[in-house]
Amino acid sequence: MALDFSFTEEQEFFRQTVRDAVNRLIMPRVKELDEKEEFPWDLWKEFAGLGYLGLRHQETYGGMETDTITQMIFYEELARGSCGFAMSAIMQILMGTYFIARFGNEEIKQRILVPAIKGEKIGTICFTEDQSGSDLGGTRTLATKVDGGWRINGRKQWITNGPIAEFTTVMATVDPKLGLKGLNFFLVEKKTADRDGFVTGQRLHKLGSRCSVTGELVYDNVFIPDENFLGEEIGKGVQYAGEILNEVRVMTGMNALAISKEAMEDARQYANNRVAFGNPISKYQLIREKFAKFWAWYEASRTLLYKCAWMIQSNIPCTNECMLAKYHATEMCMYAVEEGMRIYGGNAFCSEYPVQRFWRDAKFLLYGGGTHEVLCDYLGRIYCKD
Amino acid sequence: MGLPLTPDASLLTASDSLEVGMEIYVLVKQVPDPEAIIKVKSDLELEIENKYFTSFFDEIAVEAGLKLKEKFGGKVTVLTLDNRRVDALRRGISMGADEAVQIADPAFEGSDQFAVARTLAAYLKDKPFDLILTGRQAMDDDAGIVGPGVAECLGIPHVHSIISLEVDVQGREAKVTREVENGKEILTCPLPALFTCQKGLNSPRIPQVMNVMKAMKAQIKKVDLASLGLGPADVGSQALRVKVQKYLPPPKRPPVKMIKEDFPENVKTLVKLLREEAKVI
Amino acid sequence: MPNEIWVTAEQQGGKVKKIAFELLSAGIDFSKKTGQEVAALLLGSGLEEAAKSLTPFADKIYLLDDPSFTPYTSDAYLMSIASLLKEHQPSLLLGGATSTGKDLFPRLAMHLQTGYVPDCTGLSMGEDQKLTARRPLFGGKVFAEIAFSEARPQMATVRNNTFLVNENPNRSAKIIPVSPRIDPFSVRKKVTGFERAAGAKLDITEADIVVAAGRGIKAPENFKIMEDLADAINASVGTTRATVDEGWRDLKDQIGKSGKNISAKLYMAFGVSGAIHHVLGIGTCKTVVAVDTDPNALIFNYADYGIVGDLFQIVPALTDELKRVLSSE
Repeated sequence: MALDFSFTEEQEFFRQTVRDAVNRLIMPRVKELDEKEEFPWDLWKEFAGLGYLGLRHQETYGGMETDTITQMIFYEELARGSCGFAMSAIMQILMGTYFIARFGNEEIKQRILVPAIKGEKIGTICFTEDQSGSDLGGTRTLATKVDGGWRINGRKQWITNGPIAEFTTVMATVDPKLGLKGLNFFLVEKKTADRDGFVTGQRLHKLGSRCSVTGELVYDNVFIPDENFLGEEIGKGVQYAGEILNEVRVMTGMNALAISKEAMEDARQYANNRVAFGNPISKYQLIREKFAKFWAWYEASRTLLYKCAWMIQSNIPCTNECMLAKYHATEMCMYAVEEGMRIYGGNAFCSEYPVQRFWRDAKFLLYGGGTHEVLCDYLGRIYCKD
Repeated sequence: MGLPLTPDASLLTASDSLEVGMEIYVLVKQVPDPEAIIKVKSDLELEIENKYFTSFFDEIAVEAGLKLKEKFGGKVTVLTLDNRRVDALRRGISMGADEAVQIADPAFEGSDQFAVARTLAAYLKDKPFDLILTGRQAMDDDAGIVGPGVAECLGIPHVHSIISLEVDVQGREAKVTREVENGKEILTCPLPALFTCQKGLNSPRIPQVMNVMKAMKAQIKKVDLASLGLGPADVGSQALRVKVQKYLPPPKRPPVKMIKEDFPENVKTLVKLLREEAKVI
Repeated sequence: MPNEIWVTAEQQGGKVKKIAFELLSAGIDFSKKTGQEVAALLLGSGLEEAAKSLTPFADKIYLLDDPSFTPYTSDAYLMSIASLLKEHQPSLLLGGATSTGKDLFPRLAMHLQTGYVPDCTGLSMGEDQKLTARRPLFGGKVFAEIAFSEARPQMATVRNNTFLVNENPNRSAKIIPVSPRIDPFSVRKKVTGFERAAGAKLDITEADIVVAAGRGIKAPENFKIMEDLADAINASVGTTRATVDEGWRDLKDQIGKSGKNISAKLYMAFGVSGAIHHVLGIGTCKTVVAVDTDPNALIFNYADYGIVGDLFQIVPALTDELKRVLSSE
């Protein structure tokens, strides 16, 4: 009896609670959030007030110290609502604060982590540049050691929460020639009258996830003190990043689960209702096949994702499994939103129906946490024992 | 009055005191979500999709209790009679209730609302309550019997479907508003009393995650039939006063007639159909 | 065998509500099967006219005309009715599924240790005086036929428009004045105020015709066109949860799961999408009309007549057309 796929009564209760909060706070506004393309400060405050931003942080700093499965349940339920809002929130919960909690000194944690958990200070993590994304080794943002600290120079792109962030965890190299071995994380705050820091560049307009604001951040010879180096040893940034990559990938998969399910539930309602040639279109075999295929892939995907969550929680090495799970869930989601669009016929093409929003939102999942081309190349190489 | 209710000292908690704040009990129920698919399986069996939530009106009752506790101090206890589901109790705790009690016993299977009310009253009888709150009806059977039924068994006044509530603790009196067909009626009622709560009374809070975690781990006190001084003949199928003979699917409407003419002919046709075919105008 | 069927004849300001005539009409039908007498139970004060209006609909009127019955409190009503019921032991007690009925009946049933079925949408009577009540469960997703144990009276509250008012009831009731049986110390609740709802329209649960608009109406002030339509056909104006939550309309006008169930003869929905919460509240309406711009709106699945169109165009035209045909009669 070692194999047990059930959630505990407590986990089911937690899911129900998150679902209810999403239903009440976010669902009624999903369309508006997408159309306005602005960060919803009122919703952010209300949501932060519930305490979910501290989901995985220590109680000392206002966190909840939940386990991985509970966190994944949360991500799955949250992304049912606005995908953009989920991205902003998850950035704050996971990537945006992880290295500060891990390496920041007490003063930094009190000054940044505590208000971040309350939602008062928004943070983000910065990897991507114009010439590097999945290829981290190509990072060109430079960290130069100076007396008492570091100087950071570079531009980061595609930064979730960037235009509204007050603090960033920046990946920078001490020497571009070292490739992956030169990378490190640094805490850099926003420039103010009495503090050096980053400034915001151009804001991007995106296809989907539109209420999370995304843009460019500029680090122009920013001085930061020594304690802002987030790590124990220089050159271990990639190794540190690996600590949360599994979680990030499974989390992304959870988002894919949520979007695909919402899209197909919506399509099901439409198919049961829309009459063509005298019958609801769900009576036609070609339409039914879409649902059957989705269902099979969805169940498989969900099982693998929660298996990964369990492996992470049990400290079982699972890098490959998490990549597979992310890849599978995202491709499954692409199938769901694509077929959802087809089920809607011409109606899919107008903004009155939500299916186009699922389609647009889902596309982001292809790139977050590494493009599928890079992912598959890697996985194929592993499989072939190259 | 209801069944003879024998006191059971073992169920009294040590800190039962009326001196500080209000002692409030809220009757809650976990019911199928309005979106759950429910179908008739056979004459006497339903197939209910496994999607449940805490009856919305009961959440309003919990919120009302918590608001009073915040104002006057005291304690809010959530109480349910359910052999399987305790989520409504956890929901109550996550919103801020102090204690949760589940009354459960195999003998309850097949009970009608009157037996449920008698059992809840048997539990409450010896408790030092100032106020009992519940939803105006549970969102499954939509019956609205349990609330007034409990009040009758306990011999306390009740008001059905309130939309405002103020309490005068010193005067031991409540002022409530209830909605009636042509307006709103304002009543005063001495405490202890039972009120059933209607939408409009408040909007239930969304629980904070800290309380959710607490609720996930909360100890739920379990009470069985014997400890309430009731026997199997008092509840379940032996005590039915009303009995479902047959479940039926909802009456089917004929397929919709779409009026496809252009405006304004479609309006003329509609009026004609309403007058000549449906004969309703 | 008990020889009476009772109906509580609810009145407001001395005027008997339509539901009472509907239930007495049902009682008359039942009595033809069971050979019983039909009695109306009339409580309140200043009830001469009310009693007169009931006379053709019953064989007896138990008249409890006393200031202590105005306004209604469950305390005063319960004691008097319970004592009368114990004395006369009718086989059946019916009332409207109104705010009073829902307040009084469950408590009365518990007091009498008898069975009660709330919010019925159908009743049938056997020759053996046994009632079968039909009612929706889970907001109307299923219905149940419910029988009673041997305890009497069998009690039920019934929705408006479940029975037609008998146009030729042909009875001639004897009025039996009954003195109130109230222990003044046990009347604990006091009604201290009353806010009359704005407008003279019937409550949506009581109206024969209900017209409603949902979010499609776009702004609260646009309900004016709905009011105009309602005025033309003596209807009441209902709405959906969305507009109530927006604060556009009063909660008392909300149709659906967290609002009211209506059983109108005619229900017309404009710009209502047909969310499950809403349609659960209209399941027992006789005729349903839906107008929406979206040809795939779910509301059409629950309608008898549908028009794909813009409510801002349709509603005023419909008002004019109805005025025209009604005035030409």
